[in-house]
Amino acid sequence: MNIIGPDKLVFGVDDVDACKQFALDYGLKDAGDNHYVALDGTGIEILAKDDASLPAPLQSGSMLRKTIYGVADQATLDAITEELSKDRDVKTLDDGSIEATDDVGFVLGFQVTVRQPLELAAEAINAPGAEPQRGVNKIGVSKDFTPKPRSLSHVVYFVPDIEKAEAFYAERLGFVTTDRFTDTGPFMRPGGTQDHHTLFFLKTPPFMQGVEHFTFHMGGPTEVSQAGYALMEKGYQSFWGPGRHIFGSNWFWYFKSPFGCNIEYDADMDLHDENWEPREAQPGADNSQVFLLKATEKWAPGGPGEKPLPR
Amino acid sequence: MSKVLLGSLSDIPPGQAKGFDPNQTGKDTFFVVRQGNQLFAYTDICPHYGNTTLPWKRHHYLDSASDHIVCAAHGALFEIDSGTCVQGPCLGQKLLKIPIEVSSHSEMWISLETLEEFNL
Ligand code: FES
Repeated sequence: MNIIGPDKLVFGVDDVDACKQFALDYGLKDAGDNHYVALDGTGIEILAKDDASLPAPLQSGSMLRKTIYGVADQATLDAITEELSKDRDVKTLDDGSIEATDDVGFVLGFQVTVRQPLELAAEAINAPGAEPQRGVNKIGVSKDFTPKPRSLSHVVYFVPDIEKAEAFYAERLGFVTTDRFTDTGPFMRPGGTQDHHTLFFLKTPPFMQGVEHFTFHMGGPTEVSQAGYALMEKGYQSFWGPGRHIFGSNWFWYFKSPFGCNIEYDADMDLHDENWEPREAQPGADNSQVFLLKATEKWAPGGPGEKPLPR
Repeated sequence: MSKVLLGSLSDIPPGQAKGFDPNQTGKDTFFVVRQGNQLFAYTDICPHYGNTTLPWKRHHYLDSASDHIVCAAHGALFEIDSGTCVQGPCLGQKLLKIPIEVSSHSEMWISLETLEEFNL
C-alpha cells in the first residue's frame, strides 16, 4: 500500500485557545478552519473536545481523536477501502477521505495526500577533511532566523496489545517494522516512505491507551535546538532533551503541551529500504539516546542578569 | 519551628494554582491550588514517570474549568482535594501532598522541616 505517512492529527482539546497559541509558538502556520500546518501542508486540526464532528474519544480521555494518513493516489485509497471493508465499517466522508478504526481502537483516516513537495536545503555544515557544505562567506546561524517545522514526522501511541496493533498495521496496511524495543513496541514505517518510523508503540495498561507524543521534522539539529530554545523562552516546559536517539538517529527535543501529550521537534532521521535488517534492543534510556543535553530554564529571581519571570 | 513565607492568599485567585521553587533549582518543586479559601499543596512530580513536573507552562496546573489538576506530559487528571489520579496513565496513584499553613493574616507558610523532608 502506498501510504506516505501521517498527513494530519485531529485533536479534541480542553483548552482550545492555549492549544492554538502553542501550535503557533511551536512554529506551525494558521491555515484557517482550525488547521495548523507545517511547510509541506501536513499538520494538526484543533477542535474543542465536545465538538460534534469528532469521533468519540478513547476511554482514557486522550485528546487525539483521529490520525489521518496521506496516500499516493485514489487507487491506494480504493485498495485500503476494499481491504478494511472485509471486516469493519469504512465510512467515506464528504471530502473524499475514508474513516475506519484500527484493531486496537484508534480512529484512522486516509486521504490522497495533501503533502506538498518541498525544495529546501538541509542544514549544511563545514568540517575539516570534508568538502565545505556551506562555503565561503556563508553564515551558519542567526538569532533572527525562525526555524519552521517542515513535515509531520511521526506519532507514538500508548497501546495495551502491541502484537495486535503491529499485526494490523503490517498485514492490513503494509507497514514494515524497522526496529523494535523488546516487549515495548515496534518502530514502523508505511510503504510510501523510507523514514525510519512514522509510527511507534509503547506497551501500556488498557486505561493508558492514547498518544504519547507527535512530532514534526525540522531542517537539522540547529533548527531543533533553536526552535526548542525559543519555545522555552516563551515559557513552555521541556520534557526530555535535547538529545539524539539511537533507533532512527533523529535529534529530539520534547515539550509538555496543553494537548495532553508531549510534542517533539525532530531532525535528521535515518532512511531505510527493503535491504534493512530490523534491530532489537531492550527499552530504557541507555538504548534510546546517544546523548542527552538536559535543558532547564533558570527563572528564579536574584541572580545577576536574571531575566524577568516567564508567565 | 522555622518557616518560609510563600506569600499572601490573595496571590492565588480562587480556582487557580501557583508553583514554587524555594531553593531556586530552576524548576518548581511544589505547587499550591486554591479552591475557595482552601489550599492544597503537592510536590510537582507526576506519579506516572516519577521524575516529571506537571505543567506545560509555569503555574498551569489545572484544566480550563479548574476541576482537576492536569499533567501535561500525558494528560493525567488528578482530584484537587485528594491528589488522586482519576484519568490517564497513573490512574489510582496519588500526587504527594505536603502540609502548608495559612496564618490569621492570610499569609501562606511552609515549614523548613517540610522543605527538607520532601526535598523541595
Ligand atoms: S508524566 Fe504525567 S501523565 Fe505521564
